[in-house]
Amino acid sequence: MSFAWTSKLALAAGLAILPASGWAQSVNISYLTHWSPETVSLLEAAAKDYAKTNPDVSVTVRAVPFGDLLTTLRSQGGGADGPTIGGIYDLWLPELARDKLVAPAPNAVADEVKGGWPAGVVSAASVGGKLYGIPNEIDVYALNYNKALFREAGIAAPPKTWDEFRDAAKKLTNKEAGQQGFGMINSWAAGVVHPFASLLVSNGGELVKDGKPALDSKQAGEAFQLYEDLIKSGASVPAMATADANTTGPFLDNFVSGKTGMIIMANWWESALKTGMGDKFADIATAPIPVGPSGDKPHSISYSWMTVVNANAGEAEQKAAWDFLAWLNNPKSGKNGASAMSDILMSMGILPSRSSDIEAHKDKLGSEFLSGYVSVLADAKPFPVVLGGQEFSESLQQTLEALQYGQVSAKDARATAQADAASILERAAK
Amino acid sequence: MIQRYRASAGIMLTPAVTLIGIFILLPMLLTVWLSFQDWSTQTPFASASFIGLDNFREIFGPTSVGRDFKGALVNTAIYTALSVILILPLSVAFGLMVYQDDVAGGTALRTVLFSTYMVPMIAVALVWSKLYSPSEGPFNQMLGLVGIGPQPWLSSPRSALISIVVLNVWQQVGYFTVLAIAGLTQIPGSLYEAARLDGANRFEQFRFITLPLMRRTLLFSAVIAIINAVQVFEPVALITQGGPVGSTNVLTYHIRRVGIERAQGGLGSAMAVMLMLSLIVVVCALFALANRKDQE
Repeated sequence: MSFAWTSKLALAAGLAILPASGWAQSVNISYLTHWSPETVSLLEAAAKDYAKTNPDVSVTVRAVPFGDLLTTLRSQGGGADGPTIGGIYDLWLPELARDKLVAPAPNAVADEVKGGWPAGVVSAASVGGKLYGIPNEIDVYALNYNKALFREAGIAAPPKTWDEFRDAAKKLTNKEAGQQGFGMINSWAAGVVHPFASLLVSNGGELVKDGKPALDSKQAGEAFQLYEDLIKSGASVPAMATADANTTGPFLDNFVSGKTGMIIMANWWESALKTGMGDKFADIATAPIPVGPSGDKPHSISYSWMTVVNANAGEAEQKAAWDFLAWLNNPKSGKNGASAMSDILMSMGILPSRSSDIEAHKDKLGSEFLSGYVSVLADAKPFPVVLGGQEFSESLQQTLEALQYGQVSAKDARATAQADAASILERAAK
Repeated sequence: MIQRYRASAGIMLTPAVTLIGIFILLPMLLTVWLSFQDWSTQTPFASASFIGLDNFREIFGPTSVGRDFKGALVNTAIYTALSVILILPLSVAFGLMVYQDDVAGGTALRTVLFSTYMVPMIAVALVWSKLYSPSEGPFNQMLGLVGIGPQPWLSSPRSALISIVVLNVWQQVGYFTVLAIAGLTQIPGSLYEAARLDGANRFEQFRFITLPLMRRTLLFSAVIAIINAVQVFEPVALITQGGPVGSTNVLTYHIRRVGIERAQGGLGSAMAVMLMLSLIVVVCALFALANRKDQE
């Protein structure tokens, strides 16, 4: 064969291969999250690490405020061009799975998750026995208190019971100085409902029992009454409790500036406290949720987050997305046996949920602030993940806010919350 | 001849009518149809099932769905009424101020007034949420200087909606001032001259010349202000998220929450239909009132 013919054949072969190799280069996947720019940078750095061994996959990260996350997933997830990967709150999963917006995990991923994560967390990432997401963070609520304000008020230790809690809140209140004893939260569903639910479970109650709302229980009545008492006594000021779309705002400002003595919040806000307080962060300590008159021991509420894959994305994109997520959550992708995902989470003070990650981050999880959260995790009750859960949560938020602002009594709040929840859960289950 | 004229008019109107039909009438009819269906926004239209007036019964019923919708409807009505009541007189006052020949810096003032309308809402929301901050907000600091205690602004259900109205008025008044100036330029100067010769003072000139001859401009301004106010969304989504206690939960934000976040497309469509009907009734009433005045 002449050189000319050889060249022509080589060129033809090259042109034939070109589209295939070009296609292999062009698997673009996108990752939708609500994380802050600093954390997004860490995720982008992890994606770059992944690209070193997977040059054919490119990952772009997009962040929206928490308040817009579900809407973005719902409005864009219905198409192939929507985000390939989404970080979601476990409460949203049943409806996203029902509406076929999220894809079930491939068998290999499901097996890995079932073997590497605690059963409760796996269950929160599953619907009808099918795993839909790779769990990453677990959040739990505890009492945060300002030790400096406790010293000033002559309180030796954090409250263990509701009576001690009421007493501490009263002693910490100083109207002239614009200081409240206990900080509630409003204008943000989880921020309103989770602290209340933590007090409720620590009083032996539940939000939902056997699929039915249990807000008409004696325990729930006592929790509503506690809120009314705190508001009426002036120990909690609703005007200091507002949150904005980024889950920050006056409630956070008041705690970091020493205007709030105690607040019930989840571990993830450690980074916000450190940023806002600087050296004064050392004044903040964590304690279990005080036990109510009908409770046996401290309990609190936990919830988890997971990453899911868009069921409407192309086959190649879905495959690449699961591969990237499996790598991101693998103990080999991070430092010292931790996953890259857990390293990102720990930068925010968020507890990772993979068993090997908890072991790998043992030292940091033993810090004064986080150890308080780790210690309550065993007795935490998962927030009920049911169809209609988000609407139920928003409805309870409205009732609790009405109670905070004195628009309803504890008795009426209890009755309204139960009736609304019953109607919402019944409709969602149809 | 007439037939040819009609045919040619029909051909020329077809592109515009087709576009209006596809992009305006069809979505409106689809929304009305969906309001009678049980439908999730995440499923195809084919999966919708007819449920008659159930969605409307639900949104006016006693459950949380009905309470939230009625609350949002009232909030939207209050927001719209307050916005129009404040914007129209202010725009006329500012228009008169900058239209006077003897006012120095009229053009500069006109530019400053209109500039607020050009600022993107995201920037406005960021700045105003800080201005309203209860602890370190400049508004409370200024009130403190004159001996008035801190106000809760966005943190109280009593003042949150009014605070959002003030933000809206601040942003929109410049645009309506420009409309008012356009109306003022249409009034012949000879009328004022004749009135002055007859001994009319400035107030009488305003009462008997300016105001009656600006009626058409004010009607247009009122309609646009109502439509803008009813469609309010960004400040609520960016600053208050409808809270506290749903006090700033306006209809557009609520429909987004129900229709998109909760995927309850049928309910969301029923709410959108009610919003559309309310707007039609208000605007028609306004035009009817104006026509009656014209006939008088």
